[in-house]
Amino acid sequence: MKKKVFFVMLIVLLTLSTNAFAAGSSETKMEKVTLTMGSWRADDVDAMNNLLEAYSLVAPNVEIEFKPTNPADYNATLRLQLESGTGPDLMYARSYAPGIELYQAGYFENCSDIEGLSNFTKSNKAPWMAPDGNMFAVPFAAVSHGVYYNKDFFMKAGIDIPTTWEDFLMACKKLQDMGITPLANGLADEWDILETFFLGALPNYIGGANQRVKYETGEMKLNDEKFIKAFTAMRDVAKYCPKGFESVTYNDSQALFATAKAAMFIDGSWSVGTYDGVGFDWGIFAIPAPKGNNTAICFHPDMAITMNTTTEHPEEAKAFLSWLCTVEGATTASKYLPAGFFPMINAPIAIELPQANEFLALNEGKETDARFVWPVLLALYSPMDQAVIKVMKGEITPTQAANDLQKAYENLDL
Amino acid sequence: MSNKSLKKHNRHTLYHVIMIIWCFIVLFPIYVLIINSFKTRLSIYINPFGLPKKFNLSNYTTIFKDSSFLIYFKNSFVVVILSLLLMIIFSSLAAYALAFWRKKQARLLFFFLIAGMMLPIKIASIRILEIMKFLNLLNTIWSLIPIYVAMGIPIGIFVLTEFIREIPLELTQAAIIDGAPRFKIFTLIITPLIKPALSTVAIYNLVPYWNDLWFPLIFISDEESKTLLLGVTRLFGQYQTDWSKVLAVLTLSAIPVLALYLSMSKQFIEGVTAGAVKG
Amino acid sequence: MKLNKQNKHLSVEPSGWYWLLYIIPALLIYIIFMAYPLLDSLRLSFYTGSNSSNREFIGFLNFKKLFTDETLSVRYKGAFSHTIIFFLINMVFQNGLGILFAVIITTRTMKAKSFYQTVIFIPTTFAVLVTGYLWKLLLNPIWAGDTLSKIGLGFLARPWLGTKSTALVVVSLISCWQWMGIPTMMFIAALKNIPKDCLEVASIEGATAWQTFTKIKVPLIKPVIGMVTILTFVNNFNAFDIIFATETVNGAPNYATDLLGTFFYRIGIAGEHPIAIADPGLGAAVATITFIVLLLGVIPMLRYTSGDN
Repeated sequence: MKKKVFFVMLIVLLTLSTNAFAAGSSETKMEKVTLTMGSWRADDVDAMNNLLEAYSLVAPNVEIEFKPTNPADYNATLRLQLESGTGPDLMYARSYAPGIELYQAGYFENCSDIEGLSNFTKSNKAPWMAPDGNMFAVPFAAVSHGVYYNKDFFMKAGIDIPTTWEDFLMACKKLQDMGITPLANGLADEWDILETFFLGALPNYIGGANQRVKYETGEMKLNDEKFIKAFTAMRDVAKYCPKGFESVTYNDSQALFATAKAAMFIDGSWSVGTYDGVGFDWGIFAIPAPKGNNTAICFHPDMAITMNTTTEHPEEAKAFLSWLCTVEGATTASKYLPAGFFPMINAPIAIELPQANEFLALNEGKETDARFVWPVLLALYSPMDQAVIKVMKGEITPTQAANDLQKAYENLDL
Repeated sequence: MSNKSLKKHNRHTLYHVIMIIWCFIVLFPIYVLIINSFKTRLSIYINPFGLPKKFNLSNYTTIFKDSSFLIYFKNSFVVVILSLLLMIIFSSLAAYALAFWRKKQARLLFFFLIAGMMLPIKIASIRILEIMKFLNLLNTIWSLIPIYVAMGIPIGIFVLTEFIREIPLELTQAAIIDGAPRFKIFTLIITPLIKPALSTVAIYNLVPYWNDLWFPLIFISDEESKTLLLGVTRLFGQYQTDWSKVLAVLTLSAIPVLALYLSMSKQFIEGVTAGAVKG
Repeated sequence: MKLNKQNKHLSVEPSGWYWLLYIIPALLIYIIFMAYPLLDSLRLSFYTGSNSSNREFIGFLNFKKLFTDETLSVRYKGAFSHTIIFFLINMVFQNGLGILFAVIITTRTMKAKSFYQTVIFIPTTFAVLVTGYLWKLLLNPIWAGDTLSKIGLGFLARPWLGTKSTALVVVSLISCWQWMGIPTMMFIAALKNIPKDCLEVASIEGATAWQTFTKIKVPLIKPVIGMVTILTFVNNFNAFDIIFATETVNGAPNYATDLLGTFFYRIGIAGEHPIAIADPGLGAAVATITFIVLLLGVIPMLRYTSGDN
């Protein structure tokens, strides 16, 4: 009896699965090249599908399937797949060291001979240029960082957009006195406080790329006054974060701002589409510099796309990359890309969402740079992150934090 | 006598109090999960623990519209059931031999076979990927089954061998003296006696099989071959900023495995009582 | 007649080859899909390099690095001690309550037994994503604070998961919450196997519930207690998912909940965010040491529980 049940189940299961096989094989009848694209932007499924559909008008015989992995899993799974020869044909490439490493390991194709690359400025190409001078990906999008603010709260409190860090702290105090949580930022996820807040504000204290280089070479020390001042700013702002900010996640922060439980949120431009349809008026301003310094912007080269060296369809893959480098391709891409990801091509491209334009406008007349640690000092990411968190929790002083950071720098083998 | 039954009554009351407290600790988060999956995006955070003002079904309908939920479900079901069956058959056969074969080699084999549960299988991912590529199983659900069976075997053998060793020797001795073949002893005497252990092992592995994300993640990228958790995890990323949808996704992913558990645990409870009547 | 006798002889003491037939299916699958890939990957602990093209033999340097490198050794020791604490909390709390629940559920005259049993098991069926998400919400003062202060429990609204001193304990308890169903289920199976006459004798002789428990039930289910202990030990020393879901892969805050499992994953599988360059050799070294520790723990436990037979 039992045996019978077992066999019946087995047969049912097998028929179920052969059906699946049959369904799968009927698709391959069409004479079409299918490419897969790996990405860490799981949020962008709809946007990318629209973009790829637009591309199918350009190249009707090519179908590109967007197959994203959640950001937390992307690095680990992509590497495994590449190493075992099962990687996607096209994929997003990280900027600087993580991308260079995969290029040097022979997984990313050399893209230098794609003509359209001349449409990009040198500084926009640099993040994806290997030490041998070759491009290992084509630039796709950059992100910016700034302060999202609730205009209703600002009006109620009678605050203008602060232009100095001192004014910013005053504004926070005023909001707090009125019983409003000034800032939505928290520490639980650890990456956001560093990447959007501290690194977003850092150019205000040390200046742009030409200054950053001095820290990379060791000409300037990471425990100089400028860094201590930057850490002090983090200490001062901690009391304006939500109660229990130690366990506030990035998602929590977004929800706090979106439900008008906090007046401001220092976040990246990629969130600009998230607050569609919240019940209040909001805008963006640059993280203000301390008195006497010029406000500078952290404008970060984030995404590029490259192709697998072992793809079976190198021509089709390259054609897609070339298209992305044309003004036409970049315009189409920026039309479909989620708001807050800015095209990097050297051509005027109109952006629809007003707040995204506000973000881009922050760059005007200001110095910009990538996130401080990315170009060379990526190994300092964790020490810097931990230092920021400890300062905000009051476990160490800003001076100690800066000293810890300098010590971590000295321990690097550069 | 009445003193004793009073005592018993008090003990029962205490037991119920303990269980009700635990039930609350378990059920409250589940209540939060379910009610919030019927809210709209931001209203979760306005009142996270209250009932929704209006039950909003759109989270669920979007999920069914956006994804091949039924295909995912079918894939997971096939993979889990086949893996469990094979794992149980292979482990119980091996456990039977290892329990009765009282030699040093058996001891060593036993150690070798259970050692696998002490290492994180993730470390072997590259080799496993290469094997699956070689077998041409990538992007199919069949790649998952051998790996799950292999993953379940150490625990299966470990638990079942211990249970079979616990069976009083007299029960099998009589049959051996009667000249019954060893395989008959296995199917007719051992299997019914270890039924609770078999369902324990099945349930123990059911959860990691059903909820495994790692191997589907590295083996499978085609929509038609995705398992439920892989499918919903992609939605998790896609809806990151829409928490009510995330909760709906999570609720949906938990229901089938709970149903499978319930069907197996019924077997488990029945098996135990059947054994108890006999014993 | 003669044939029959021979047959009888065969079945009394079958040869090793006969028993091997039963083991071969399991052994084959296990070797191909588990033992070989695992052993081959552990071999990497003697190599350096992030992928097959730049691999280099370096002897025991990876092991040495784990204990001597300034930042790495601090993290490793931290992860090791957190794992021990995590294991102990799970061991005591989860298995202690598991036995209690099993005793309650196997009390013959209790009502609603199967309801309780099902409820205990429900969290076990959740993907850790669910567990992590739910408890992050529930333990967050931002969202739970208002409700808690309304019912006079405002003091409970603290950032439990974000405070160094509480995070590890709280995460361990969340893990207990999730996996409670497993030991409970195994203890129930064991307790139900106790012959009824043993318990009846005890009851006739007027033994209290506590006496029955310590003098009869515990000795009789000792093998299962040993088994659950071993499984708890093995599973918690490789625990990863629950930390990943509640405290990020870094074991936030400030590595306070970093376990061997998360440490291994960061080093050997994914690489540190955002560099994301894994070191499979170093990862293999971490896994090898964990494996040896587990073997050293499990072998005496096995001896102890099955040596009595």
